[in-house]
Amino acid sequence: MSLIKQLWLTIVILLILAFVGSLFVSISSSRHYIEQEIRIKNSDNANALALSMSQLEKDPVILELLLAAQFDTGHYRRIELRDPEGEIIERRVGDETIDTVPAWFASLIQFDVPPGRAVVQDGWRQYGTLILESHHSFAYHSLWRSSLTLAGWFAIAGAISLLLAAWIVRTIRLPLRNVVRQAKAIGEQRFVESPEPRTRELRELVRAMNRLAENVRGMLGRESEKLDQLRRRLQHDPVTDTLARAPFLEHLEVSLGSHSHDASGTLAMIRVGNLAEINQQLGHQKTDALLVGLARSLKQLSLMNGDGRVGRLNGSDFALLIPRAHDLKGLGEELTERLEGLASEYGTLLTLPSALTEYRQGKSRETLMASLDGALAAAENQGELGQVIVESSEQEALFTSHDEWRNALEKALQQGVYLAHFPVLDTQGKLLHYEAPTRLKLKGEWHPAGVFLPWISRLDMSTELDLAAVAAALDDTAQSGKSIGINLSPRSLRDGRFVSELISLLRAHPEGAARLWLELPEAVAVQNPTGFSSLCREVQTLGCRMGLEHATSQFAQIEGLQHLGLSYLKIDASLSKDIEHHQEHQSLLRGMATLAHSLGILIIAEGVESRTAAQTLFDLGLDGATGPGVRQNGSELID
Amino acid sequence: MLTAGLGLTPAPLQAGINRAQLRESMRQMHGQRGVQALEDWFRLLDQLRNSDLDTQLREVNAFFNRRIRWVDDIDNWGAEDFWATPLETLGQGQGDCEDYSIAKYISLKELGVPGDRLRMIYVRARIGRSQIVQAHMVLGYYETPAAEPLILDNLVPSITPASQRTDLDPVFSFNSEGLWAGGSTQSRADPLARLSRWRSVVGRMEAQGFI
Repeated sequence: MSLIKQLWLTIVILLILAFVGSLFVSISSSRHYIEQEIRIKNSDNANALALSMSQLEKDPVILELLLAAQFDTGHYRRIELRDPEGEIIERRVGDETIDTVPAWFASLIQFDVPPGRAVVQDGWRQYGTLILESHHSFAYHSLWRSSLTLAGWFAIAGAISLLLAAWIVRTIRLPLRNVVRQAKAIGEQRFVESPEPRTRELRELVRAMNRLAENVRGMLGRESEKLDQLRRRLQHDPVTDTLARAPFLEHLEVSLGSHSHDASGTLAMIRVGNLAEINQQLGHQKTDALLVGLARSLKQLSLMNGDGRVGRLNGSDFALLIPRAHDLKGLGEELTERLEGLASEYGTLLTLPSALTEYRQGKSRETLMASLDGALAAAENQGELGQVIVESSEQEALFTSHDEWRNALEKALQQGVYLAHFPVLDTQGKLLHYEAPTRLKLKGEWHPAGVFLPWISRLDMSTELDLAAVAAALDDTAQSGKSIGINLSPRSLRDGRFVSELISLLRAHPEGAARLWLELPEAVAVQNPTGFSSLCREVQTLGCRMGLEHATSQFAQIEGLQHLGLSYLKIDASLSKDIEHHQEHQSLLRGMATLAHSLGILIIAEGVESRTAAQTLFDLGLDGATGPGVRQNGSELID
Repeated sequence: MLTAGLGLTPAPLQAGINRAQLRESMRQMHGQRGVQALEDWFRLLDQLRNSDLDTQLREVNAFFNRRIRWVDDIDNWGAEDFWATPLETLGQGQGDCEDYSIAKYISLKELGVPGDRLRMIYVRARIGRSQIVQAHMVLGYYETPAAEPLILDNLVPSITPASQRTDLDPVFSFNSEGLWAGGSTQSRADPLARLSRWRSVVGRMEAQGFI
């Protein structure tokens, strides 16, 4: 039996005991008191009547009248006058029925009162004995009334004490449940912290568990730094701390295959011309410093435009991937400005040609890189800071002008978005939620995000799209009853209107909100921790789960991570790609899983390509996976 | 105490006089002189235990008439019409008419005279040959309920049949019937019931060890 049930049982039994006990004591003491009263009344009335009779002539009529008068005007069951031999001289007997209280009550309680006796004198002799009994109906009535009053008061007192008990139980139950949850979580290697409850015993327990969690997390924090260092060593160029060629290209490939907002953006290439000469003239150290400066400048540029990545493709070529950035011209100017600043430090020696192009879902990596290479060669010919922008071929575009796009998108959003369904399964093969990328109907056909997202960004309509997607997801989950995940665009987070409309939308669908999983890229949370945490707080109170996508080992460095209450992380696909063959990535992921679990966060792999990969990931401690490798298992494939 | 506290019926008290308790009560209230008087009373009771009724009536009447000095209640107890127990009467060595009657009543009952034959009678008394009348109380002995009683009075030394007492007019009579249930010797006295003088004196008698 649970502690709470025992508590309730005790309270109820105590209340019943108190009620029955006090009722018994009250009735028996009242009965005793009433019996005494009746006895005194019997005796006094008998004496008074006998005294009157003693003073009168012993005329039978007068005696009868006196007795009758007393009987008729009072409350008596019996008055009789017997002579010294015991023969009845005069007698009046009344009705004994008691109709003012229920029969069961009268039968339950018996009054034991002797009749009042007094002797009537006739001179010195005794004329007779007067025997008098009072009626008990009033006694029953008063006893019944007092029992009812007591029961009434007790009902009130009982109700108040039950309310009080309910309050007490509630104040105990809530922290108790938290303690149990925390203890269970620790049992499952999730070292979560709980708020300390006010109940002293529980507080000490929670404090101890919190200390344990803190120690474990401290250990894991140090571990995560090591993991991050490991990741950098694996993926980064040692001189400039940018991504090495292979990881960068992998990242590009993942982006091109993505269904989310990252599926399109800007790809740029920058070349440090005549690097060999510079190396000769400036020396090795200064050349390295120059490269580091360039890399830093490019990273700043990418950060200012979202969560871009910088990679060093070879000794002299740098690449920049900025998802969701579609203003090639603007970016190009920004880039040129930065390169100018850098070039001016080194005089005419340095040439920094650059080329930019737009990428979007479905394009091949090779084509993109080849066209950029060509453009870069052209830019080199333009001069020191030559720049070529490769316009994407418009023939594949659905519409040609901004206005057409805007009209078409607005119309499509009004018609409503369609959500594709990709299952995210846990280790048991059960559904965690559906990943639901949006589709829009343009020119009579449903198109994936890659087609319209560039224009959504360009036309600043991501708020509308996100709200439409959330509304569609709420509808969907209301019908299917299954959990559903929606990618939010990073721009929406910066839009106050989006947040407030999202809240009111969720508030209108509390049931659906509890099955909604919302996610944002990790880089957004790193850059804007306050905005992110306030969004987390708001939506979590409405039952939503918040998560991060494209998470790397950096997630441990998010400010106030343990208080965000994140529900899940989706690991950046570049970390989980070909996991079977990457020993280092395996230890990285194992560490991340432990770290995430210590905070009570689920950790999910994206883009898992095979069943063996999925199995390897689960063995490393990941809680879920999505991608073609998982979908093959699941029969729940939709889309 | 516990059973009383739970509202259960109190255990019946043992009847008859408790000499040890009476001695103790007397010592506390009136000291050695009182105990001496009490011992005299006990001796009287022991002597009369097996005597005939006439002797018992006469000796008891004489004992109290001789030993107790008549005073008004207001002088003796500072209260009008205070009803004293025999212990108090013996201890004081003086008493009012009802104190005589109560003491004689208790003595005779202790000697085995049935309670229903003894009645205390309120009478209207003419003192001497004068026309002065006074409220008075005497003890009557009824051979049968319908019979003429014998009167034990502190004003006259001898016991006479009621008809010869032309100086007395009976008004009303009572005894302890009804205070003791069904003529038995078990007390039904209750704290609440001591409101009347008679019940109050009966209650005090119980406390002192008479009943």
